[in-house]
Amino acid sequence: MWVNNFLILGAILFCIGVYGVIARKNAVMVLMAIELILNSVNLNLLAFSQMHHNADGNVFALYIIAVAAAEVGVGLSMVLLIYRNRRSIALDELSEMKG
Amino acid sequence: MDVLRDQNWLLSLGTFLPLAGVVIMLFIPKRDEESAKLVALVTAIATVAVGAYTLVKFDYGQSAKLQFFTSHDWIRPIRATYTLGLDGISLPLYFLSMVITLLVIIYSWDHIPSPGNAKAFLMLMLVLQTGMAGTFVAQDLILFFVFFEVVLLPMYFMIGVWGGEQRQYASLKFFLYTMFGSALMLVSFIALFIVTKGNTAEGGSFAFSWFQAHGPEIAKTTAIWIFAGMFVGFAVKVPMFPFHTWLPDAHTQAPTQGSVILAAILLKLGTYGFVRIAIPFLPQAAVKWAPAIAVLACIGIIYGALGCLAQTDMKRLIAFSSVAHMGFVMLGIATLTPLGVNAAVFGMVAHGLITGMLFFLAGSVKERYHTLEIRRLSGMLKQIPRLGWILGFCAMASLGLPGLAGFWGEFPAIISSWNPAQALVGDGKLDLFRVLTVVAALGTVLAAGYLLWLYQRTAFGEPNPEFTSHGSGAHSLSAAANHGDDHGSDLHDVNTYEWIAWTPLLIAIVVFGVYPQLMFKVIDPAVTNLMRVFGK
Amino acid sequence: MISALVASDFATPHVDYHALAPEIVLGVGICLLIVLDLFLAESRKWLVSTVAGLILLGAVLPVVTLGVIGSDVRSMFDGRYVIDNFSLVLKALFLLSGYVVVLMSSRDTEERTPYQGEYYTLLLTSIMGMVMMASARDLVSVFVALEFLSIPAYMLAAWRKRDSKSNEAGMKYFLLGVFASAVMLYGMSLLYGVTGSTRLVDIGQAVTGTDHLVGVQVLGIVFVIVGFAFKVSAVPFHTWAPDVYQGAPTPITAFLSVASKAAGFVALSLLVFLAFPAAKSVYEPFLWVLAAVTITVGNLLALKQKNIVRMLAYSSVSQGGFILMPLAVAGTGDARTSLRAVVVYLIIYAATNLGAFAVVMAVSRKTHSGEIASYGGLFNYAPGLAAVMTLFLASLAGIPPFGGWYAKFGAFKAVLEARTGAAYTLAVIAAVNTVVSAAYYITLMREMWMKPAPDGDESPVRVPRNLVAALVITGVATLAFGVLPGFSGYGAITGLAGAFGR
Repeated sequence: MWVNNFLILGAILFCIGVYGVIARKNAVMVLMAIELILNSVNLNLLAFSQMHHNADGNVFALYIIAVAAAEVGVGLSMVLLIYRNRRSIALDELSEMKG
Repeated sequence: MDVLRDQNWLLSLGTFLPLAGVVIMLFIPKRDEESAKLVALVTAIATVAVGAYTLVKFDYGQSAKLQFFTSHDWIRPIRATYTLGLDGISLPLYFLSMVITLLVIIYSWDHIPSPGNAKAFLMLMLVLQTGMAGTFVAQDLILFFVFFEVVLLPMYFMIGVWGGEQRQYASLKFFLYTMFGSALMLVSFIALFIVTKGNTAEGGSFAFSWFQAHGPEIAKTTAIWIFAGMFVGFAVKVPMFPFHTWLPDAHTQAPTQGSVILAAILLKLGTYGFVRIAIPFLPQAAVKWAPAIAVLACIGIIYGALGCLAQTDMKRLIAFSSVAHMGFVMLGIATLTPLGVNAAVFGMVAHGLITGMLFFLAGSVKERYHTLEIRRLSGMLKQIPRLGWILGFCAMASLGLPGLAGFWGEFPAIISSWNPAQALVGDGKLDLFRVLTVVAALGTVLAAGYLLWLYQRTAFGEPNPEFTSHGSGAHSLSAAANHGDDHGSDLHDVNTYEWIAWTPLLIAIVVFGVYPQLMFKVIDPAVTNLMRVFGK
Repeated sequence: MISALVASDFATPHVDYHALAPEIVLGVGICLLIVLDLFLAESRKWLVSTVAGLILLGAVLPVVTLGVIGSDVRSMFDGRYVIDNFSLVLKALFLLSGYVVVLMSSRDTEERTPYQGEYYTLLLTSIMGMVMMASARDLVSVFVALEFLSIPAYMLAAWRKRDSKSNEAGMKYFLLGVFASAVMLYGMSLLYGVTGSTRLVDIGQAVTGTDHLVGVQVLGIVFVIVGFAFKVSAVPFHTWAPDVYQGAPTPITAFLSVASKAAGFVALSLLVFLAFPAAKSVYEPFLWVLAAVTITVGNLLALKQKNIVRMLAYSSVSQGGFILMPLAVAGTGDARTSLRAVVVYLIIYAATNLGAFAVVMAVSRKTHSGEIASYGGLFNYAPGLAAVMTLFLASLAGIPPFGGWYAKFGAFKAVLEARTGAAYTLAVIAAVNTVVSAAYYITLMREMWMKPAPDGDESPVRVPRNLVAALVITGVATLAFGVLPGFSGYGAITGLAGAFGR
């Protein structure tokens, strides 16, 4: 029954992450919230991998870690770009285009 | 199905020849209008020549069969084929579309509507021609659909670019109505295909012959729904009563050439669809739908006639008269009898000739008087007598005077509605149809009323002083009083191009009026063949 | 340790180099491009775009040879990476639409940005991700391909560094894209948990939507579909699309609206046909609602747009709904017909939409405006452009004889094939929607043909040669797909390898 604990932790992390993405207005905080979701996914995958006794989940988690790093790299550089142009990284101010 | 495959390249040639002209015209510079006109004219003449050759080679003894039949794979994954064929129903319409296009192009020689650009105008005309001819010879549902839709855009631009004051509104309305109809029509075509092919993943076909064989086997309720989709698609095009509102706008705003083509050919695509597709493929649904169609047709007859009486604009009046005339055609079709459908097909051609001619006249009147307001026109017989007489002739033809072509479309349609098909009688609809006979007969009286009234107001009496010369009101008034035959300087009578464009139509109206058998004997075997499913 | 490895019967995975040739050409080409950019003088940077185009065409070559030589399925890595007809057709689609985007870009970037080398490198990388997506048959490879194609696209959307609209576009696209893929990953982790495998085919055997762990299955399926719904901008996950399309450089907009969207649909079809075939009770209603809402809302919002790119953005949202339609009946209808309808739609839509954006670029060179009203009088001063734009718009509206009608036809046919009440309803909703969509396409046509030029300026538009080439390719393709759809070869797609018992 130990796998349940990991899954529950994963689900909680996922929910916190989703809440963060929706509620936060600061771009860096949103990025961190997304990282939380990705970590909950990793936790799930590792727990299931143990449960099924195969390595697929482990491999998947490794890929996710690598790709997440790349994503954060791009994301932070974009945050920097916006900060340079506007002196602010508040997402609700990004609303030039509407309709 | 029994077909004749001789000279199977002929229909493809006749259908696609105009496109060759379009391709050549692409390379003519825009400023060189004369060459553009010349190429268009030569193309149209060549097309009519091919059409005439088709007429000659057509085997009149076997007009129930599809002739010049050709069939190839076209879109294999969906079982659509490139199938063309011509029988007695298609032949008159096919040839009529070619002739009308030629006449319209001749008329365009000195009548390119504002804002000019003869090249684009004539190119659109030729594309239209391909679409129209193709629709009448296609023997595959998908091919039919494609041709049916090809006419949409050229007509839209013709109205929208070269039309009158309200052209943008009118063209948009025309486009959206037609689009709505064809979207539902396409859905019902596909549904028909899927239902007839059974549960096999492959198999089935979009060829007309397949549906003729397997359409009648469909369960009645399904068939009624599929028919509903087709009904909307074709009824918009006809147009039948609740879907007709685009027509007066489109006709009034379209340039003369557009109106002529619209009236003479495009409306027939809808009725042709009923005769060729909806009714023979789904006879069991047609029996259920026929009373509704007949009622709507009669509403159209009366409504169109009353609408005519209320119009102040000559072109709009002619447009409303189209609604009424197409009502007769639809009434004939709704009887589901060979006689009724014969009358309907004849009525299509006759209406094409007569109303096409009326729109030509309206265009020429507009060109001379710069108005079509009936109130302001009068005394045409005195000012431009030849045009006035032709108008009178066409009005007589349009109201169904025996001896002219219009009569043979309306009279048999009314007669046939007294005795509708056995299946309808079995459904207890005989009384309804007999009531409709009376209503339709009343409609002819109204038709006589509005056409004669139109003629009386525009052609008789003294010419309106404002058109008798270029001078100011008072001067022209005295001039008119002193010299009744002194025309305003731009009020020339029928000119050469107009004579060339109109004479064939006028002759045809008389010939088919005096000797309708000429066309009936071509149509009848094919109609009888299609209506076999209803017995009797 | 080493002895343990030797003792186990470890077999080197079989690598079919011919099958991988498109990816190899692209990968080598990308590296070449970076190096080339380093050594080129600023005045000769235009070479980069030419080389990028050549690399893409070079990658098409092995796709063609693979298609011609043997129709057998080439499967690698335990069936996790498969080359079959489906993937070959889509690879060709991605590479060729990438080529058209390169044609469209070369002039645009010359004028606006100094970062040519980086631009084309990222573009090619994104295309490489799409090419991989077509072959991916495993959750991991689907995920990697998805990120491969998305991350460069985020950067390309924000390409105009100093333009705040472009910044905004990039940021919105990035955050929503990453969030969507995170949600999708959570769904994938659940699917893995239920089935114990990441191979799509294995998942397909285990996920039924009926027996044990139903709740987790449903959650997994829904999360994964939501993730891809973001990618294909299905309503209500479409909000990023218009802003990103408007803010990004126009060639990139074309690229996103065509290739990136197509990649999303490819992934969605892989999942629907391979991973969820037995769970139709779960995904069908969900996709049905998505499709109906996407078509309708996309159309209604497009109606009121004044900016051409935003209008095309909403139009592409609504077109996406049409592509979802066959997927919504994939289980009850005929799966082959549905799959074919999706692929056909993607191909025709790609040709048409790329062409429409090429015209937008050509016209904006003269008018410097994205307003629909700025298209007035186009027919008078640039009849050629007006004519091809009419062709593309008519195709988008689904009017024969231009390609779009066949795409719509296929979608309708696939839906009606299901013969259920829900399917008929969907077909009628879609049919009514084609009329609504015609209304806004016709607005633009009316502007071009019937209105005078807004400022009376009727000087002709000078269209650069590469744009002409792009217009010719897309125009001819749009027309050919409409007139002779049977000869374009996608009739060959008989199914996904592994699906439909093949």
